[in-house]
Amino acid sequence: MTKSDLNNMRYTIDIVVENKPGVLYRITGLLAKRKINIERINVFAVKGNGISKMFFTADIEDRIVDTVVKQINKIIEVIEINYHKANH
Amino acid sequence: MKMTGAEILMKSLLKEGVEVIFGYPGGANMPIYDALYFYEKKLRHILVRHEQGAAHAAEGYARVTGRHGVCLVTSGPGATNLVTGIADAMMDSVPMVAITGQVAAEFLGSDAFQETDVVGITTPITKWNCQITHASEIPEAVAKAFYIASHGRPGPVVIDITKNAQFEKTEFNYPKNFFVEKLKTVNKYKKEDLQKAAEIINNSKKPYMLVGHGVLISKAEKEVLQVIEKTGMVVASTLHGLSSIPFNHPLYVGMLGMHGNYSPNKLTNSADVILAVGMRFDDRVTGKLSKYVPKAKVIHIDVDESEHHKNVWAHVPLIGNVKDVLKSILPYLKKNNHNNWLEEFKKLDKKELAVEKKRQLKNKNKLTMDTVLTLLSKKTKNEAVIVADVGQNQMFAARYYKYKNPDSYITSGGLGTMGFALPAAMGAKIGAPKRQVFATVGDGGFQMTIQELGTIMQEKLPIKILLLNNEYLGMVRQWQQLFFEKRYSFTHMKNPDFINIAKSYGIKGEKIEERKKLNQALDKFINFQGPYLLEVKVEKEDNIFPMVATGTSVDEVRLE
Repeated sequence: MTKSDLNNMRYTIDIVVENKPGVLYRITGLLAKRKINIERINVFAVKGNGISKMFFTADIEDRIVDTVVKQINKIIEVIEINYHKANH
Repeated sequence: MKMTGAEILMKSLLKEGVEVIFGYPGGANMPIYDALYFYEKKLRHILVRHEQGAAHAAEGYARVTGRHGVCLVTSGPGATNLVTGIADAMMDSVPMVAITGQVAAEFLGSDAFQETDVVGITTPITKWNCQITHASEIPEAVAKAFYIASHGRPGPVVIDITKNAQFEKTEFNYPKNFFVEKLKTVNKYKKEDLQKAAEIINNSKKPYMLVGHGVLISKAEKEVLQVIEKTGMVVASTLHGLSSIPFNHPLYVGMLGMHGNYSPNKLTNSADVILAVGMRFDDRVTGKLSKYVPKAKVIHIDVDESEHHKNVWAHVPLIGNVKDVLKSILPYLKKNNHNNWLEEFKKLDKKELAVEKKRQLKNKNKLTMDTVLTLLSKKTKNEAVIVADVGQNQMFAARYYKYKNPDSYITSGGLGTMGFALPAAMGAKIGAPKRQVFATVGDGGFQMTIQELGTIMQEKLPIKILLLNNEYLGMVRQWQQLFFEKRYSFTHMKNPDFINIAKSYGIKGEKIEERKKLNQALDKFINFQGPYLLEVKVEKEDNIFPMVATGTSVDEVRLE
């Protein structure tokens, strides 16, 4: 285990977005450019109201997680975003 | 009345107040160009020579006017040629609207001729983008694009319009009072935080304001002066903050960063309060982050929440438009002065000046970049717009021209795009026709977008091109000298006869190689009516100092 692995914590990021093409790409692009690998992902459209819910689980360095989440929150189609430490 | 998508686009752009478009026609935007033929009088179109030129010209236009820069290109290579300029606008927070043609919807995904996934390619370098496949979608997409590009932290947006949508006919209805909820409220700072920040400033002994691009973007120059003059706070500028404060203001100590002035870097770590105003603590400003501002409480004003704590922890982050935040905090600030603190800067300034004098003496009869820019500054009464390219010429232009008025120093700071200056100067001149516009370029960067001389010729743009030719990629050569034991690996350039090239484009010019000819050559250059190229053969192995070397702390700034 390298030093950087030790500083990584498993986080879950919950995002509510407008259900439009390209939004998932924009979000995953922001993760990929920091070499954050997604361990688990769940995306579904909420019937009838034009929104989607997304749940990402990934190992992210503690010192950058807040900035990454704020950068995702800048995406125009993102309506709400929360993150917390994952249990597993 | 039904009209084509292309005409709807024209009408939508007019609704947004667009006056100028920088563009290049091609297969997938021909219906738009056909519509433009009928709107030529209302929408001025500048035909560039390469799409990258359109993007940088749009940036130059936006930077001097504060309005949207618009470019229009075709699909495939037209759009990919725009990519560098879009990325540049993203890094430097420039409100740009790029419209790209696209193959007809039925061909999407089929590897059709000149098809590229433009939305895919531009996603990481835009604030927002979209693809339009029906004419009826155009008005709202345009309204949304313009709103997003300029609200909150400005940035580029791309609208990709398929050819069938350009041909398709429908009714024109433009949305009224359109807004994007997410960007409607930018001021999220709280009164308690303003008071907390003010208390920190009021109790400080060595308060230090760092101004950035946000001051110019939000037009907060007056508010900055009010805050520093009331508190007696010392102020320094980032590269993009240059010209937001007059160079001769008694509390202004100069430029920060890798090639900034000596005292502003050296004393950053002595400050007990840092008030960062519309700047993002770029690595070129902070030097080694772990040794940056160890003693200071940091108050960070930025409209972009994700900039807070990104590189430097802020004790008090204030989210909002710089101008509004400064206006709101002013009543809580106490009248004060910090003459002893200012004196520390003045003392170090003498050290820099002594080195500068030594340098001048050594170069007395030589042609150097600093000599040229100092003289240009004097002869233009410090009032011109300087559009600098990237490299040594950019840093010399930043440091030796004395900026008096806002929006006078325009350069590619974030992306560092060589070739930026010439096309950006075209946009700047079109945006500010009454101001004198100079492009300062090196021999490397000039050749990256030299084709835009054709645009300058066709549009008769009276731009002054100052070519500082050292036959090297000067900044890389400087690093090779300092950090790679003078191994000048592929930085020497054998150059063409630039004056003859300009002549072929009908642009007058002069080349000088002697110091004694500089005075007269500059006079002619400045006063010439129309575009002009002045090539100055400068010292080949000259360096720009002070310098904060990569990986070192700002207080380790080198004088020579």
